Amino acid sequence: MLAVELDGDAVRAKSGSMVAYDGRMTFKKLTGGGEGLRGMVTRRLTGEQLSVMEVKGHGTCWFADRATEINLVRLTGDRLHVESGNLLVTEAGLRTGTTFTGLRGASQGGGLFTTTVEGHGQAAIMSEGPAVALRVSDRHPLTVDPGAYVAHQGNVRQSFQSGVTFRTFLGEGGGEAFQIRFEGEGLVYVQPSERTTFAGEV
Amino acid sequence: MPFRAVNPKMVEATVLPGQTVYSQRGAMLAYRGEVSFTPSIRGGQGGLMSMLGRRVAGEAAPLMTVEGSGTVLFGHGGHHIEVMVLGGETLYVEADRLLAFDGSLRQGTMFMGSQGGVMGMVRGQVTGQGLFTTTLAGHGSAAVLAHGGVVELPVAPDHPVHVDPQAYVAHRGEVRNRLSAALGWREMVGRGSGEAFQLELSGTGTVYVQASEEKL
Repeated sequence: MLAVELDGDAVRAKSGSMVAYDGRMTFKKLTGGGEGLRGMVTRRLTGEQLSVMEVKGHGTCWFADRATEINLVRLTGDRLHVESGNLLVTEAGLRTGTTFTGLRGASQGGGLFTTTVEGHGQAAIMSEGPAVALRVSDRHPLTVDPGAYVAHQGNVRQSFQSGVTFRTFLGEGGGEAFQIRFEGEGLVYVQPSERTTFAGEV
Repeated sequence: MPFRAVNPKMVEATVLPGQTVYSQRGAMLAYRGEVSFTPSIRGGQGGLMSMLGRRVAGEAAPLMTVEGSGTVLFGHGGHHIEVMVLGGETLYVEADRLLAFDGSLRQGTMFMGSQGGVMGMVRGQVTGQGLFTTTLAGHGSAAVLAHGGVVELPVAPDHPVHVDPQAYVAHRGEVRNRLSAALGWREMVGRGSGEAFQLELSGTGTVYVQASEEKL
């Protein structure tokens, strides 16, 4: 559960994720993710639709969704990549957008596009079970199961790795046929549960 | 000890060259370093006979061998993970609850009927575990999955422990288990308390109980 103290300022939250509030609050639906007409069209086209509401007022507002764990991420000018379904709340000072992920998205069941959050402020992301932040540096690259990946931030390059061998076709695969490799400098968030993905089947 | 709990639902295993860790297939979340994952068609240690034994016993959970040098994060389905360190004793656990274990542990299959005769076989049926269970013996550690948190209950000779069969996770040491039925006329007329069968564990050792009556 996430508590947000508001003092006349605003946050953007996933529609329907408010569980309680005290004080005075107004909830306004933002059509198309609150990114204007162009953002709305992009989101419709890419399937990364964000159903977002703007919460404004004085008091405390509590957010939660499907009893998932909530992780707070502080952004100081850097960029966070997260699946739109895993994004719960962003501060009003953060901009959201859409980027192309390529083959990685298809393998983790998140589609070919992902949501980016940029600017200064805090964002709350959801994960199934407590997520851990793993540091990636140039000397220590990290490899992640696509089903357990939640989000990443910083200057990180990702590449898609496949361990498909003849054994996979015989139905005796290791269950780890596809992986995402992260290189560069940044943080990767990993959850203890694996989404059912195409990659998990082989 | 190669397993370290990162949080209640993730463990980190340190893999060193020349050492093998066995894990459930698809349970890797992330890794660092040069680590390779190979499906173990034999389903664990031993030769062809061990493999056949496990297949026949229905204790052949798909495993993979993890080798190389680096650290690997394991987790599965958001379930709780309990790391158990063995110092020479034997751990009895269902194959599908076993997330990962050290290659230094000897893996085996045990027939339930050998503990408690016919009642042992009935016990396997009631708990939904089947007639066989997996044993791990030796020095090393194992990561076991459970639904909800796990408590350790000590079993002493004059202090037997009764466990709901569905909440039972694993046990270790010199423990005898016996199914005790508390069937009365109330169960027959459909007014049972819902606790008709219990596992009675006696001897010396430890039994692990999960906070849920749900199987994995």
